[in-house]
Amino acid sequence: MQSTGKVKRFGPYRIIEHQANALVFAVLVLTGLSQKFHTASWAEWVVLALGGIDAVRLIHRWSGIVFSILLLEHIAVAAFGLLFRKWPPSIVINKKDFSDAIETLKFYFGLTDRPARCDRYDYKQKFEYWGVVVGGMLMMATGITLWFSADIFSLMPFLPGQIIPAAKEAHTNEAMLAFLVIVIWHIYNSIFSPEVFPLDTAIFTGKISKERMLHEHPLEYERVFGKIDDKEP
Amino acid sequence: MPKIKVLLFVALLIAQGLGAPILPAGAAQAAEADICLGCHGGKDILITFESGEKLPAFVDGEALRGSAHGALECSDCHGGFSAEKHPQRKFKTRRGFKAQASGICRQCHTPRSATHKKMLLDVKDLICTDCHGAHAVKTAQGSENHCTDCHRHGIVMTFAGGEKLSLQVDAGEIKRSVHSMLRCYDCHFGFSAEEHPRRAFKSRRDMTIINSEGCRRCHFDKYTKTLEGIHFDILSQGNLNAPVCADCHGSHSIHSGRKEKLLSAKRCERCHSEIYGTYLQSVHGNALVSERNQDVPVCSDCHKAHDIADPRTVDFRNMTPEMCGNCHANEALMAKYGLSTSVVKSYLEDFHGVTVSFYKKQKKAVRHIAVCTDCHGIHNITKTKGPDAAALKEKLLERCRKCHPNATENFPDAWMSHYEPTFKRAPLVYIVRAGYKIFIPFMVIGLALQILLHIWRYAVNR
Repeated sequence: MQSTGKVKRFGPYRIIEHQANALVFAVLVLTGLSQKFHTASWAEWVVLALGGIDAVRLIHRWSGIVFSILLLEHIAVAAFGLLFRKWPPSIVINKKDFSDAIETLKFYFGLTDRPARCDRYDYKQKFEYWGVVVGGMLMMATGITLWFSADIFSLMPFLPGQIIPAAKEAHTNEAMLAFLVIVIWHIYNSIFSPEVFPLDTAIFTGKISKERMLHEHPLEYERVFGKIDDKEP
Repeated sequence: MPKIKVLLFVALLIAQGLGAPILPAGAAQAAEADICLGCHGGKDILITFESGEKLPAFVDGEALRGSAHGALECSDCHGGFSAEKHPQRKFKTRRGFKAQASGICRQCHTPRSATHKKMLLDVKDLICTDCHGAHAVKTAQGSENHCTDCHRHGIVMTFAGGEKLSLQVDAGEIKRSVHSMLRCYDCHFGFSAEEHPRRAFKSRRDMTIINSEGCRRCHFDKYTKTLEGIHFDILSQGNLNAPVCADCHGSHSIHSGRKEKLLSAKRCERCHSEIYGTYLQSVHGNALVSERNQDVPVCSDCHKAHDIADPRTVDFRNMTPEMCGNCHANEALMAKYGLSTSVVKSYLEDFHGVTVSFYKKQKKAVRHIAVCTDCHGIHNITKTKGPDAAALKEKLLERCRKCHPNATENFPDAWMSHYEPTFKRAPLVYIVRAGYKIFIPFMVIGLALQILLHIWRYAVNR
């Protein structure tokens, strides 16, 4: 079996991008949730330790700017790659992802022998990725609305006043959702899942073992290494 | 000197007790007095004055003989009268008669103490017998009403600056006050039945301030509170017009400050009349005056009574939501007036409220953050429903612009006026909130189930 050794999965650009996103996400969560749960004792401690509510808001807003830059830069690079560099749209959701999800669920319930055979990104990863991109755009838009709450009306006088509380509602709930998805789903899939435990190192080393690649991304594996002959010893 | 006087009296009394032989004059007196008392020892003789007042011309022989004047003859005081002569006299009033009689005392007695002299100078119609008695003459010392014997008269105190103050005390006023059980010298230290020190105050104000220092002997808790108050601050900076205890509580007519809210507010009015006027126009002040409502806050409910803080400080501002919340978060109280108690909660949940809450905990509170009073007014708080509501709303944008200079017409609506977002009132907010209320649990439960299924499948397949 040719599944020993490692295969390059991410370049340094993606590694740095992830690490930067993870860092700024952590700062946003800390400074954001401590505002959301301002009456909790831990939140109070965080706010006071960071130098007060104004300092927390300042950190949160500047982190938001960094996050927005990362997001916009990512989209710009992706668009450029897709349009001019002929990057394969491997992260784009397609029909197969829905059938993959159903097939994998069937496998979980013991109705089929094996999970769906996925390509470079499986449906779970795509779901998470688009969650970050779409959610990030929403956070960006609502965040700017809240930050420049007065100016937003001079720019768009047709907006009703309730756009501000609505933006707050969306910002705070979307943040909570993102936080829960990361904590439950992403942490499980990259740390606690029995398939990667104790840690999926792909995003740190940029490499994935052939064995895991074959197991998790068989279609990509086949594209790179040729069709696997199951009967081969 | 008084001791010698007393000794002399005692000697005379003894002499009298021993009988006439030593003093032949005594025998004569006894004879004259007996003749006079023959008629005046009875209670049926009445003198009628021109004013119509009547006075029994009764003399208690026993008391007369037992008095310091026991050795005198009746005619010594009642000149012109004797065993033989009994002239008819006419007096307009009883008081006039007494005043005239006092003139007789001064033929023998000149006041010795400075206090007494001053009193005779100050009080024109001072009548000796009012304090000393007429026939049963006695010294004023040891009297039950020792202080008021003199101070019920209009004694006038003159200060170094020329200011004058009447020292007349209405004993009834003290009896009606909360201090009815106290003695004069419980507050006026250094004074007693024996001692009457002379005090030299620069001014009437000085005296009030110094006398108020005495209150702390009993009311130490209140005194320590005043040390933190703005009035004490101003006073210690040299402004003597700053109120001290007696200015708000009164002196002899002192009464409880808590009984009647309007009275409490009126005390502040004396100096803060403009604010008081504004307050009376407000929803609170109006209810206080027109309905005698005792639930509404008066000055001291927000500003406190003794530890009055400077209301211009950031700390005071930041306390405002809590202050208003004292009543406006009280379910039972607000139910009486059909007001919602969620106003405080909705404020504290919003940006301004969160900031203020943290500023209270932080050492440095730097910015001016909108609190209740910024929208609702301070002393001129109005109703938020009815005709006042439109005016309140009109001013809102103006108020927003103080901190948000770029605010435009729609901006004030960003604040949902303490209302929970409903589909009717704020559909956008309502829909977003409701959407996430469904979406978040759906996602979380879905993902958690997938994880559990994954683990389960993994365990089964091993």
